[in-house]
Amino acid sequence: MSSHASSVTGATRFSLRSGIILALAAFCFATLVFAATPSSSTLNPVNGSSATWAGGGIAGATTDETTCVDGTDCDVYTITLTGSPANYKGLVLAISISHQVKLNDYDLYVHKGGLTGPVIASSTAGIPETSEAVVIDPTVSGTGVYTVHVVDSNVAPGDPYSGVASITTPPADSPAHGTAPTYANYQSPPGLGDSSGEPSIGANFNSGRIMTQAVFDTLQVTFNTNTSPATATWLLKDGPNTSITTLDPILFTDSQTGRTVVSQLFGTTSLSSFTDNDGETYTVSQGGGIASGVDHETVGGGPFRLCTADQLLVTPAPCAQLAVRGPLTQYPHAVYYASQDIGDAEMALSQDGGLTYEEAHPMYTLVDCGGLHGHIKVSSSGIVYVPNKGCGSTQGLIVSMDNGLTFTVQPVTGSSPNSSDPSIGIGSKGRVYFGYVASDGHPHITVSDDQGRSWHGDLDVGVPFSIRNTVFPEVVAGDNDRASFFFLGTPSAGDGTGADTGTPFNGVWHGYIATTYNGGKTWFTVDATPNDPVQLGVICTQGTTCPNGTRNLLDFNDLTADKAGRVFAAYTDGCITAACIARGNNATASHTRLDNDQATKATIIRQSTGQGLFKSQDATPLRP
Amino acid sequence: MQRTVIPALLLLTVAPLAVAKQPALRIVGLHLGMSHAQAQSRLKEIGQFKSEDEGQQVWILSHDQRYQYAIVGFDRSRHLRYITVLARPEGKPVSYSDLGDLASATRSGGPGNLRYTWKARDDIGGFEYLVIAKGKNNRYLDRYAVKRLGVESETEDRDN
Repeated sequence: MSSHASSVTGATRFSLRSGIILALAAFCFATLVFAATPSSSTLNPVNGSSATWAGGGIAGATTDETTCVDGTDCDVYTITLTGSPANYKGLVLAISISHQVKLNDYDLYVHKGGLTGPVIASSTAGIPETSEAVVIDPTVSGTGVYTVHVVDSNVAPGDPYSGVASITTPPADSPAHGTAPTYANYQSPPGLGDSSGEPSIGANFNSGRIMTQAVFDTLQVTFNTNTSPATATWLLKDGPNTSITTLDPILFTDSQTGRTVVSQLFGTTSLSSFTDNDGETYTVSQGGGIASGVDHETVGGGPFRLCTADQLLVTPAPCAQLAVRGPLTQYPHAVYYASQDIGDAEMALSQDGGLTYEEAHPMYTLVDCGGLHGHIKVSSSGIVYVPNKGCGSTQGLIVSMDNGLTFTVQPVTGSSPNSSDPSIGIGSKGRVYFGYVASDGHPHITVSDDQGRSWHGDLDVGVPFSIRNTVFPEVVAGDNDRASFFFLGTPSAGDGTGADTGTPFNGVWHGYIATTYNGGKTWFTVDATPNDPVQLGVICTQGTTCPNGTRNLLDFNDLTADKAGRVFAAYTDGCITAACIARGNNATASHTRLDNDQATKATIIRQSTGQGLFKSQDATPLRP
Repeated sequence: MQRTVIPALLLLTVAPLAVAKQPALRIVGLHLGMSHAQAQSRLKEIGQFKSEDEGQQVWILSHDQRYQYAIVGFDRSRHLRYITVLARPEGKPVSYSDLGDLASATRSGGPGNLRYTWKARDDIGGFEYLVIAKGKNNRYLDRYAVKRLGVESETEDRDN
């Protein structure tokens, strides 16, 4: 026994020694060949203090910063700012990298402190590009160590980058450049989508069709682009078990695979089906996988989080754990179902495309966040996100980095709780755009480049229209720097989202879409329903405690983009008669709930002109 | 006579052991069906109010060695619909088998995400209820809930 134990120990020692030698060799090789040269610098609070470095010969392809391996397809450069933040008044830290080949794509992230510190600035433009640059204000971010992380988004060997960091004067503020998008509204034909609260919408990149669902109706919408403006054909394509009864309807389309999952909450389970041909045929599925979820279900999906070949070499054990929760069938993507009950919220993973689900895993309890949550979104690298309107004193983002096994609740710093569920859009390289209604009723959006650990660029995008009450924030992103934010808003002050028990709220609600093409620095906000109000009077967001006639729109809308990056919003129109619309367009008329139609008509906003959410499609301008 | 009495006594002693232990519908002195006022009174005795969301309340349990939080929800007639308690980290562990006979429970999930569910009936109140215990550990629970069946929550959605 002793000998055996000794033998094992000896083998372990040999293995450890060999491993250490190999690791050291690999480290030296990486350091010699791949590291930035020099690897660090110190800058002083003087205009003109600067440093340059040469990037390592890194090359490769990554999905986002979380999937790179330092020394292989990303590297690190450290900058130390001396002095105190006050010494940098009137100065900024400018960091840029450049390279030669336009078809290579480097990205630049700057962390405060080490690599685990918050990402306080990033530049992640896509091909074609030969440079990335950020500007940091040390009076806000502080002095000390900054870590520059240069990531190969898609870089072929032989095109090393060079970096420059300098203390300089701030650049002039640049207003939103380009042209604001325009939009057109398409109402569902009579007899279809007439009872259509809380719609979901999805775009099938393979067929080009739009799928939408609200209450009982699942609708397939085809836009005929041979004419301009395009015409829409709406067809009823109900799933076999999703038009029988409804508590909470939800539709999710995986744009890449073209699969649409439709689901109806049904007591303590859900009735669900999926289709791979836009509703022509369906497969009935197990449903949600949670035995006790009774409210506010959501379905989402996207790529599994799996290791790259480089990550597998460096961290085999966690990679193996991720792989266990990878695909079990030919269907390549994950589908997730989440709901709430008895004081907690849970999520279940489907590894077979939504046919069956595992036992749900707890996401959070009411101790952490409010019970109800927004809708699931999955990043291109497989990170799962669920937004929540109230986690303590802020809104929150629930994050899973392991295919829905464990979850972290990240506070959205700078935000404040509200009664509308927030929404997120995720850029192609992982940037999270969090759209929410602040406690003062204004529509805000804020950005995170580190999976919700830190937030920056919070803006009130309702300012151009003096929006004072907002409901149903919905966000979609395309390229990392491009996103759209849809919401219903009114400039009328007062309690526009309450129970309307006192003097009736007087307000005209429109659908607005704010769009950024520069990573959230500036936004174009457009009234997408300029001549046709969505609702007159209150939009109550207090759930079932809302009085009759105040909650006809139910709880949310939805937003998506097609393969060209064209934005589509699904909303419920509560004001559809000529008389209601005329009152809404008459500034001196009464605009209370008594003047509203209380209708629930399915309507889609389609982007007509302007740039879409994918830069690669800019060469083909959108036509109405 | 004595020969018949002894086996009968033995049977009386053993019989209760043979019957599956039905999990209780009461946790920390709260029981399903109690009124809102009764529940508030009991909760104030055992803890401090923390927060409320959609009519559901979170209470911090002050002195319970097993549980740190209690979460309660009510039905439309303002009677206690569910009680969930969360285990206290480093507190006195509660095993799944403390709640009821595991053989009569439905076991689901697996290592790291285990769940036992009992369906039971309260003959006095005349209603059915679920007892759900969940945890990462194979022996000890992280959370434990009792939930009355057949009633809607105070704020349950009705979107049709």
